[in-house]
Order: sequence, then structure tokens, then C-alpha cells
Amino acid sequence: MDFKHTTLDNGLTIVAEVNPDAASMAAGFFVRTGSRDETPEVAGVSHFLEHMVFKGTERRTALDVNREFDEMGADYNAGTSYENTIFYGAVLPEFQQRLLDLLGDILRPSLRQEDFDVEKNVIQEEIALYEDQPVFRTYEKLMAAFFDGHPLGNEILGTTESIGALRREQMLEYFTRRYAPGNVTLVGVGDVDFGALVDQAQHICGDWSPAETQRDTPPAPGKTGRTILADERLVREHVGLMSPAPSHQDDERFAAMLLATVLGDETGSRLYYALVDPAIADEATTAYMPLDAAGAFVTFLAGDPQRADEALEITERELKRFADEGPTDPELTAAKHKLACQTTLSGELPMGRLAAVGSDWVYRGDYMPLSEHVERVYAVTGEQVRELAQRYDLTATCTLALGPREDL
Amino acid sequence: MSEEFFTRRLDNGMVLLAQRMGHVSSAAMTLLVPAGAAHDAAGADGAASVAAEWCFRGAGDRDTRQLNDALDALGCQRGETVRSEHVRFSSAQLGRNLHDVLALYADVLRRPRLSDATFEPCRNAVMQDLASLEDEPARKCNLLLREQFYPWPLGRCPYGHADALKALTPEAVREHVARGFSPSGAILAVAGNVDWDGLCAAAEAAFGDFAADAPPPVQPEPARRGVRHIAKDSAQQHIALAHASVPLSDERYYAARTAQTVLSGGMGSRLFAEVREKRGLVYHVSCRYNTLKDQAGLFTYAGTRPEVAQETFDVTVGELRRLREGITPDELARAKTQLKSSLVMQGESTGARARMLATDWYHLGRLRGLAEISDAIDAVTADDVLAYLDDYPAEDFTVLVIGPQDIETGATSA
Repeated sequence: MDFKHTTLDNGLTIVAEVNPDAASMAAGFFVRTGSRDETPEVAGVSHFLEHMVFKGTERRTALDVNREFDEMGADYNAGTSYENTIFYGAVLPEFQQRLLDLLGDILRPSLRQEDFDVEKNVIQEEIALYEDQPVFRTYEKLMAAFFDGHPLGNEILGTTESIGALRREQMLEYFTRRYAPGNVTLVGVGDVDFGALVDQAQHICGDWSPAETQRDTPPAPGKTGRTILADERLVREHVGLMSPAPSHQDDERFAAMLLATVLGDETGSRLYYALVDPAIADEATTAYMPLDAAGAFVTFLAGDPQRADEALEITERELKRFADEGPTDPELTAAKHKLACQTTLSGELPMGRLAAVGSDWVYRGDYMPLSEHVERVYAVTGEQVRELAQRYDLTATCTLALGPREDL
Repeated sequence: MSEEFFTRRLDNGMVLLAQRMGHVSSAAMTLLVPAGAAHDAAGADGAASVAAEWCFRGAGDRDTRQLNDALDALGCQRGETVRSEHVRFSSAQLGRNLHDVLALYADVLRRPRLSDATFEPCRNAVMQDLASLEDEPARKCNLLLREQFYPWPLGRCPYGHADALKALTPEAVREHVARGFSPSGAILAVAGNVDWDGLCAAAEAAFGDFAADAPPPVQPEPARRGVRHIAKDSAQQHIALAHASVPLSDERYYAARTAQTVLSGGMGSRLFAEVREKRGLVYHVSCRYNTLKDQAGLFTYAGTRPEVAQETFDVTVGELRRLREGITPDELARAKTQLKSSLVMQGESTGARARMLATDWYHLGRLRGLAEISDAIDAVTADDVLAYLDDYPAEDFTVLVIGPQDIETGATSA
């Protein structure tokens, strides 16, 4: 396993973890932009733009783009989050050049008006699709409540209204600023030919014009309080709780991962035994969500609306108990084994490594081999986790409930 | 890529399969037992799902918590899936922990406590799974369509239905476990960092003296099929339709998969191009292949706004039918590359490989190497695809629609 990186004259960075033993290679463009980088007038533009990237370039129509991915048998996709937009694909190593030619080219989309108009419908469709997914709605509304007044409170999809009103020119302006080469990282993993990767990137991306790109990272202390969104069409009550956590840049993120695992892993965790095992809730999980200069612990509950008060009360009690006592040694050891195994399993696939190598670089300008990641997990002590739980105050929660309940 | 396969049948009928993969440190396991939802006794719908929960609530000399902690301490990433014919237990871990994990699964399968005290939470968990479908209409639509399409009870919704779950007794689920958690018809497949001799010894120790009769075969009744609309005040109109295809063991299988890939293999495929890209009618449209032992189907789903639901339905059905007019050499080549690439890339995951080994054995009674599958895909011609479509045209749809809008399905159903 070999790590390599370089930067083109226009500022585009290329990083790769080369593993000649892999059967495939994966490559992705990580654009450091997302809903947090939007102003209210263009809410949802990052995600809409991600769609438009597949709509063709000077050299390719939209159908060409899709057809060519299919011709390589690529496993590919794109995604927009609060702070990243990524475009990636995995192929057999013989298709590296074609994959790069395609991915690099589509990152300079034509943004044709007629495509823009058709795609607007697809975005509206996607907003409706998520309307029917209460877990997603809970998460989105909880983010908005917890980060109220902070850019991270911006909703990824935007709204039916903001998308309806969005004009092509606004998207183009956003694109020019945010997709500048200095704000983009090309990541390769698996059986990748690094020399060829750099040559290909130079050939396809070398003439992208630089532009000044900034991101505001004001402090994000996180709001507290309780919001109830009643929706009589729903059958179950969905409850989310969010509290502050270490950021992506913070060395304490390993302790934070362990905290979330002990507290709310899907099986064998505190919340599992307190809520799922006795069937008080059918879902109770905690995740650690590291972000750019911010972070959050997020706990999700779902279950019978009649028992939602009880479930919430137990959850709050468990958060408090954890902040007071921290993990036991056996709990921490089991959590380390689980995390190590998860990391190893995803690391065995190029697609799994792509996200890890990409985010290490985008957030910290850093590379960490899988083995070191696992070592860092094992090095965390129980005292560090306990201390973290107190300092970040797990009980300072912002709570949001979505479901048939009018009050809670 | 060299493949090292191993197979062995234990005296009690349990089949042990393995693939050694270089360069990985994990070993993933798939264990199929013939206790799936199709085996739920009459009136005991949901028994398989309750059983899959209940058998982890204490087993052998460990109570629920001790068992969970023991699995966690081995770093197991585990999951149980209730399928039609089988309950599938999956667990991925570092290869060095595999044998200890097997010993724990021997307790789960052979010595689950199934105590009255832990029954209620398990039944409740399944009832909540069932209730949660109401908040996820797309998933509900696809699950219920299978129930409607396959000969009863092969497509039974694994969560059963509310009345049956309420009436379910601990005794009925214990009977389900006693019948279906049987070595006869069970398949244990492992892929990854595996030492075959060591695995054989560990499997013998765990399951060698496991004795139980084979469960009686399911006697299916004719499918209900037809068109069904479930009115719901949802944001989207969920449209799902199924029509018959060939099972994995059929010689036309690769032609069928090629046809399905031309329709829905990627973003350049027919459905995506016509329904989403050209018309912007949907965010999600897809056609998936599903196979049971003797039955199979193509399952098409589209989620759309109610006001364009009719158009979405008509365009989607039109594309399914238009395939019979022919496919281009480009489309054929693309579909083949897609099928082959995904095979290689999935093959990098130990979990996916273990599932594939078990699937091959169940359907074919043997394991297919990469080269065999690749050659079979290469050999498919456009004529093969058309001949398959003559045998299995896009007609006689089973349709399930969930949403505010009723739609006219015309002469699309039997």
C-alpha cells in the first residue's frame, strides 16, 4: 500500500492510495462545497448542480455520459452533503483512463437551459420522495433546529419554492466559485496507476481556471430545546436528539466514535438494552457525525407513539448516566473490536477506502493507512471517553419529534 | 484471479462451502436454514421473523446480554434476514475470530433458550417492523407486491400481518424453530481469510452432531396476482409491477439478466433514460430481478408525483414491452460489461462472496467460478434475449399501487 499526492499548477490536488492487489480501482472528485456554502436565495443549488453535472458537456450529451459509465460497467454515483459534493466510480483497472476522462469532463458541465428545466422536475420529485421518508425528514429538521442560525442548518435539498425559483445563471455563478480547481481533490484508490492518473488529470483538468473559494466556519455551539412536528399521516413517532461533538479536524474523533458505539450501536449498546431489547422502541441508535470545524452526536428513536415519552425519558437518563460514568472496560473493548472490524471490512473494498482516504485529505490534508486508523481506535482509554462525554455535555440536547403526537 | 473453492457435506446433511481469498483479513459467513417466511405455519404468519429475533435472546449457557457481548467481543458485524425459503444469518469478522463465532452460532441455532420471558419483546419488535412499513410506502409497496405475485406463501411478507402476530404463541414459534433450524437443507458458506482444514474441524465441532429431520416442503397455492390499489395520502405515488421470469437454474437465466440490465442496469439503461432523463417523471425507477428456487420475476418500481402517475405507468410499461422490438449491439455489449464488472467488484467483498456461494449451492447444487459466469455472459446473443422475451413477454402484470391516485392499468393484467 502506497500513498502518493501532488498538486497541479491550477491548484487541483491529486491523492492516491495504491494497492496493486485490488481487483478494481475507484476514483472520485471531492468538491468542498455543500448546502452550508449556500445563501438562502440559492438554497438547494449544490444538490441540484450535482444532478446537472450528469447532464453533459461540450463533448458529451447527457445520454453519452450515462452510456459511457455503463459501457465501462462502472459502479458510480454522486452525493451532496452539508459540506461536500462528490462524484465517484469504481471500475476494473483497465478502464482507469476512460473513467478519468469521463469524470473529469463532466466536472465542467454545459448547464444547458433545457436540461436545467427538465432536471428541476426530478429534483422536485426527489423532494417529494423524501417527504415520504420520515427518518430523513427528522434528521433534516433536527439539523436545522440544532444548527439554527449557522450555515450547517441549511437543508440539502432546498425547498419546493427555492428550487422552483432558482435560475440557471445563479447556478452558473455558484459553480464558477465553488468548483474552482483549488476547491477540488481527485482521489484514487485500489489498483490505480498514479503516474497515469496525474497525466490524465493534467490533460483533462489542467485548464480549469482558478478562483478564490472560501468557507465560513463560525463556531457552532448548538441549540438546545424541543420541537414537535405533528403529522397525523405517520404511524410511528420518530425522535432525534443532537448535541455537540468533536470536529473532523479534532484528534478526539476516535474517542467520539467509541462513545457513539458504546452508547448507541445497533446491537449490544446501552440504548439497545434500555430500549430495543425490551421493545420500548424498535430503533435506538447513536451516531457520531464529524463536520468541518463542528460536530454532533445524533441519537435516533423510532417506535410506538404511545411509548414515545417513556423512550425519550429513558434515552435522556442514559445520556446523563453515560456523561457521569463513561463506559465500562468490557463495553469499551467490545466497541473497539466492532469499530476495528467495520473499518477493516470497508477498507477491503476500493469503494470503501475512497471515502476514508478522501475525507482524511479534504478535512485535514492528511493520509492515514487503515492499520493506523485501527491502532488509533485501540489506543483510546475509557477515561478519555468519559472526559469527552462531560466536556461536550451529552445532555445538552436539541430534540425533535416527527409523528402523530401533538405533544411530548 | 485464481479462485480456491472448497465444499463438503457433513453426515447430517449440512453443506459447508468456502472460498479462500488472498489479501483480506476478514472472513464472512452466510448461514442459511430452511426456516424462511414461506415455512410459517398456517395462521402463524410472522413466526420466522420472531424466531430470527428470539434465538439471539439467550442461547446455550449465555443469557441475552452475555451472548450479545460475546459476539461483540469478537467484532462480529452480524445481521439476520428472513427470506422466502430461508432465514439467513450473516456475520463478518476478522478471519482469526471465525471459529469462535461459529461456536456461538451453534448455540444460537441448536440451543436457543426461547424462554417465555423474552418472547413478548421479540413479537413486539416484529410488530413494530410491520408498523414501520406504513411510514415507508416504497418499501411496503415492494414487499406486498411479492406477496401478490408469487404462489402463496412463497412471497409472504416476512413480518406477517397484525392479526396473526397478535395471535402468535411462543409454542408456535418454538415449533417453527424445531422444524426449520435443521442441518438438512442448511448451508454454511464462508469467504475470505479462511483455513479450510481448520474451518472443517470448527464446523464439525459446532454442527457435526446436530441432528434434526428435514422440514416438510412448502406446498404453494396459485398466486393471487391481479391489480391492487392501496389508497394513501402519501406525497408520492408508488407504482410497482411484476411479471414472470426464469429462475437462476434455467438455461435462459443469463439472457434474462441481460434483458433486465438493458432495461435497468445503469443510468444509460432504457427505463432510466426514458422515464427519468428524457421526461423527468421520477427520481427513482428500476427493474430488479428476483429468483426463488422454481419461480422468478422482474420487479419494476417507479415513485412519482400523483399528477403524472398515469403517464409514468404508461411510459414504464411501454419500455418494458418495447424491449421485444430488439436491442442494439451497443446495448448488448454494455449490459455484458456491466454484468461482468459488477461480478468482479462484488467479488472483492467477503460478505458478498459468502452470499453468492450459498446462493449458487441452493439453486444449482454447485459453485460457479468467475470464468464460467463470465463466459456464459459473453455467450448471450441478441437473439437469445429476444427468444427469452418471446417466452417471457412483458404481459400479465401483477400491479400494486400505493398513493392518492387510482391509475388505469388497461389490459396489462391477467
